[in-house]
Amino acid sequence: MSQDWLLKVEDLSVRFQSRGGDAHAVEGVNFEIQPGETLALVGETGCGKSVTARSILRLVPEPPGKYVAGSIKLNVRGKGVVDILSATTKEVMAIRGERISMIFQDPGKALNPALTVGSQLAEVFGQHRLEMILAAAGIDPSKASRAEKRIAKQRASFVQTRIFALTRKKKAETLQKAIDNAVARSLADTGIPNPKKIMKSYPHELSGGMKQRVMIAQALACDPDLLIADEPTTALDVTIQARILELIQDMQKRRGMAVLYITHDLSIVREFADNIAVMYAGHIVETGPAKEVLANPQHPYTSGLLGAIPHRRTPRGELAAIPGSVPQLINPPTQCHFASRCPWAASACKTMAPALHTIQENRKVACFRFDSAEDLLIENAGMPTPAKLAGGN
Amino acid sequence: MNVSTGSNSGHILNTDAVVTLNDVKVHYPVKEGALQRVTGHVKAVDGVDLSIARGKTLGLVGESGCGKTTLGRVIAALVAPTGGDIWMDLSAQQQLDVNRLRDLSESEMSTTDRDLWKQLTLNNRLGSMSKEKQRQFRRNCQVVFQDAFSSLNPRQLVRDIVGRPLRVHEQLSGEELDRRVIELLEKVGLGAEHLLRFPHQFSGGQRQRISIARALALNPEFVILDEPTSALDVSVQAQILNLLVELQAEMGLTYLFITHDLGVVQHMADDIAVMYLGQIVEYGPTDQVFDNPLHPYSRVLRDSNPTLEGERNRDWELSGTVPNPIDPPHGCRLHPRCPVAAAACGWSVSDALSRTEENSPVLFETIKTIERVDDFNAQVAFDNEDGARAFVDQLTNSSMNNAMPIPPTVSGSSVTLAFNEVKDASLEQIQKDRWSSCIRSQENGLLPELVKTPQVNEKEGQ
Amino acid sequence: MTTKTGKMGATSPRAPRKSAGTVKWARRLEVGREVLRNPLTVIGLSIIFLFLLMAIFAPLLAEPNQPDPYQSPRDWSNIDSPPGIAGHVLGTDSTGGDVLYGIIWGSRLSLQLSVTVVLFTLVFGTIVGSIAAMKGGRIDNLLMRIVDVFLSIPELIFALAIAAVLGPAFSNIILALAAVFWVKYARIIRGEIIKVKQAEYVAAAKVVGDSSWNIYRKDVLPNAATPLIVQATLDMGNVVLIGATLSFIGLAQAGLTEWGALVSAGQSGLLAGEWWVSTFAGLAIVLWALAFNLVGDGLRDVLDPKTEGR
Repeated sequence: MSQDWLLKVEDLSVRFQSRGGDAHAVEGVNFEIQPGETLALVGETGCGKSVTARSILRLVPEPPGKYVAGSIKLNVRGKGVVDILSATTKEVMAIRGERISMIFQDPGKALNPALTVGSQLAEVFGQHRLEMILAAAGIDPSKASRAEKRIAKQRASFVQTRIFALTRKKKAETLQKAIDNAVARSLADTGIPNPKKIMKSYPHELSGGMKQRVMIAQALACDPDLLIADEPTTALDVTIQARILELIQDMQKRRGMAVLYITHDLSIVREFADNIAVMYAGHIVETGPAKEVLANPQHPYTSGLLGAIPHRRTPRGELAAIPGSVPQLINPPTQCHFASRCPWAASACKTMAPALHTIQENRKVACFRFDSAEDLLIENAGMPTPAKLAGGN
Repeated sequence: MNVSTGSNSGHILNTDAVVTLNDVKVHYPVKEGALQRVTGHVKAVDGVDLSIARGKTLGLVGESGCGKTTLGRVIAALVAPTGGDIWMDLSAQQQLDVNRLRDLSESEMSTTDRDLWKQLTLNNRLGSMSKEKQRQFRRNCQVVFQDAFSSLNPRQLVRDIVGRPLRVHEQLSGEELDRRVIELLEKVGLGAEHLLRFPHQFSGGQRQRISIARALALNPEFVILDEPTSALDVSVQAQILNLLVELQAEMGLTYLFITHDLGVVQHMADDIAVMYLGQIVEYGPTDQVFDNPLHPYSRVLRDSNPTLEGERNRDWELSGTVPNPIDPPHGCRLHPRCPVAAAACGWSVSDALSRTEENSPVLFETIKTIERVDDFNAQVAFDNEDGARAFVDQLTNSSMNNAMPIPPTVSGSSVTLAFNEVKDASLEQIQKDRWSSCIRSQENGLLPELVKTPQVNEKEGQ
Repeated sequence: MTTKTGKMGATSPRAPRKSAGTVKWARRLEVGREVLRNPLTVIGLSIIFLFLLMAIFAPLLAEPNQPDPYQSPRDWSNIDSPPGIAGHVLGTDSTGGDVLYGIIWGSRLSLQLSVTVVLFTLVFGTIVGSIAAMKGGRIDNLLMRIVDVFLSIPELIFALAIAAVLGPAFSNIILALAAVFWVKYARIIRGEIIKVKQAEYVAAAKVVGDSSWNIYRKDVLPNAATPLIVQATLDMGNVVLIGATLSFIGLAQAGLTEWGALVSAGQSGLLAGEWWVSTFAGLAIVLWALAFNLVGDGLRDVLDPKTEGR
């Protein structure tokens, strides 16, 4: 394994304390993200994908959550490898927003309703791109005074800003202009028309799609290496959803950024993701290139999920519904968590937990049917071989 | 079939219609100021003609703010329409009669027609029906809401939730009630053991089943499903959709399926009505509408939907954002955003101004005053002559140019604009079973071609 | 066994059912247990329980004075005596009235005061607020403007004014407090009802065709009532606090065994070092108010809609 991965999650386990016991939200999750890659983490409610995403930025509240095991290693250019879970708070804060950024499902909730869009974005620039702003205003960053820095960071008091504006008018103007330009540029980058007007608006005056663009501008202000998008378009209309996803794809190409999509919508994944990892009950059950996995799923859960998506071709009343429901995550027994719902479950599945096996060069599945990975012709106690399963789709 | 003439062509089927809407409007007044004066109306539903065929599933699709939920509530009689009529149970012939007579006043009708109209209004029109018939309608039309958690009273037992219609309409109680409720629960895949539980003890899918059981308690003919599976996981959704199909076959139900999910509607609906900004822009059999849309909005909706197979066509896109429902565009409501908008699609002064505001905000800032004679005529004064000329140049270089009978005149630094007055678009039948409100489709009988040259509506962010 | 619709098939057993009543009580017990989990709430409830016992068994604990048990028996030979002397466990005040007697019988008055006022204000406020919220429109406007007028006057001043006009008597204190406190409940219930009315289960009930009264009774009120219960509990304490203030100022009959009056009576003695009258009476007031506040807070935590019903 070469060292040119960007993010490596190893054996991550996250649990939540609850009255009945510990809920195993994430169990033994492993995956890698290469620079510039788009990975989609897919699953239904409660599968652990959101917890995994938040763990990457150490955003899981502890308590009730706790990082029981594993590491999340980030390859910071120029600095080497950092394990986010064991890093100091200072190191994590340096990563958040600068190396790894995140956008959320409901942009309305992620934006401060009391501040204009422009001032929120200015804060981000001031916090993370101080030198750039100062340099653009013609101030040498190493010689900048405290007042100048505070104004650039949007942290100066009203009085301080006024005094500065009165005493050093020209400098104040250029400084303000540098901030405004940086903000306007980042907004225009996301395709927002008339950025100057939008900068002066409050979040509630903007449409959902517009707010999401603002959030993207905010997330990308520092040119992060990895963008985590947690259900970014679930709350948006279909016509706008397409535009936002195209925008992310476009920005990704331009900046060579990697993207981690958290979603339950498999059709988005097919169009916008390179690779996919399917999660179920806290485990990853299948990984591989998105188009291949969706065309030819190997794990019974994945194929069940695909069969459940309504199409015009499927005769009505015949949608493949996965029987049963997700098992509870509190103190789960050691077995394949999908066994109770799997049409091909055998006795082995109810006593042991399968690990992710590599069945082809870049495809992994956590299912006992693939136990002897090299020999795909072995039939285990009546379980169909992968070839048969794909044919029955 | 015959293409109807007249401004209000109405929406007619050649089979029995469970519900027929004629020009239904729901306008909410906007009150401002200390004296709460009415300054305008939010036109949530603005002139809808729709008939729902008995025994089939009609899908009602549209994006947020299009009015589909409000329309569902109007049909369910939860919201009173501020205009228009709602008719129940009209046969094909009766639909023709209603359509013919709806615009005539009493004096214009013949005696037989007058009797006919009287009969129809007494028996079939919501609002003028007898109390008994209203009550019967209530029993016959039930609703399943979107959020299963908030549509069940958290303090009531399942038995009381599902049994309530039976209590109210059939005065059942005690063991008889329990028996009937258990029957209903089993019909939707639950059991007697769920009878005495509270909603919070169930999963999302189960709660939706309880909701469905309640809706079926009185053996209705017509069920309105308002985004019934939008809040559910895909695998649970599949179970619920299969259940709905099974129940429809078993009980001979008619469904109005309101959703924004195109995959679901393609799977579930026989016919589909597409809504935009309070109006229905297209109607037809689902497969036909998706294979061959007759309205640009339908086309854009279809193309925006990411699919699990094939490549998506990214050419058809809308520009700008959804306009304010208080002041919707004239003519065809989509025209400011439409990729194939032409001169006759309803350009007005507001369009010209918002176009300028978006494309050249600097120029827009130099506007001093705007004097409107009406929506189509105005005088715009700029700070200087250059501004006025730039404005005129922009207009004449766009397809708005042909919407003006004479080019805009410049006198000093002010510009006089005059647009052709275009009446509002309405749903008209274009082919057999196919209806569209696109002015261009109505002329040509099919969707106009997308011309890939810089249009008035250039691709912009929203 | 499960089919594509997720049905369980005809094999679902008709389980021996408990009655609906049992289930509902089981739920209430569960909520009760939840409440008792908080140690502070338990403390509060214990204090209240003790006061309750004190009030109920007052005649047994302290021989009722004739003709008016709410006037402390005067022991003229032992005025201003500190606690522990001549059988006066908590001492006497400047007219020889036994402090312990005052506290025990005072608890009856406090109970009377709080229950009467809270009951009245709860019922009346709920009626007014419900009418306003359910009818909406102009009735809502009118009623809420009246409520606004009431609310713009500070509670204490308002109660003071009414009691002063009516004359010094305990019953007038009750009246004054009732007149002032009801608006709070009207406001609360109106806000809650407006919120609840928008819930889909109310729309569902309308679709079912139930009458407005039934919808109010079954859907709206039960779900809007929670903040009322919390507020009522807190007010049981606050009412006594404000009532004590009023009688402290002198708006109760002279010599009444009301806690506030006792504090007032002992006030002059404080500087002379005679601390027991005001202190013990004041302690009673504080404990009473504290106890109800603890219970009210505990209830609020449990009944918070975020935690209730998952």
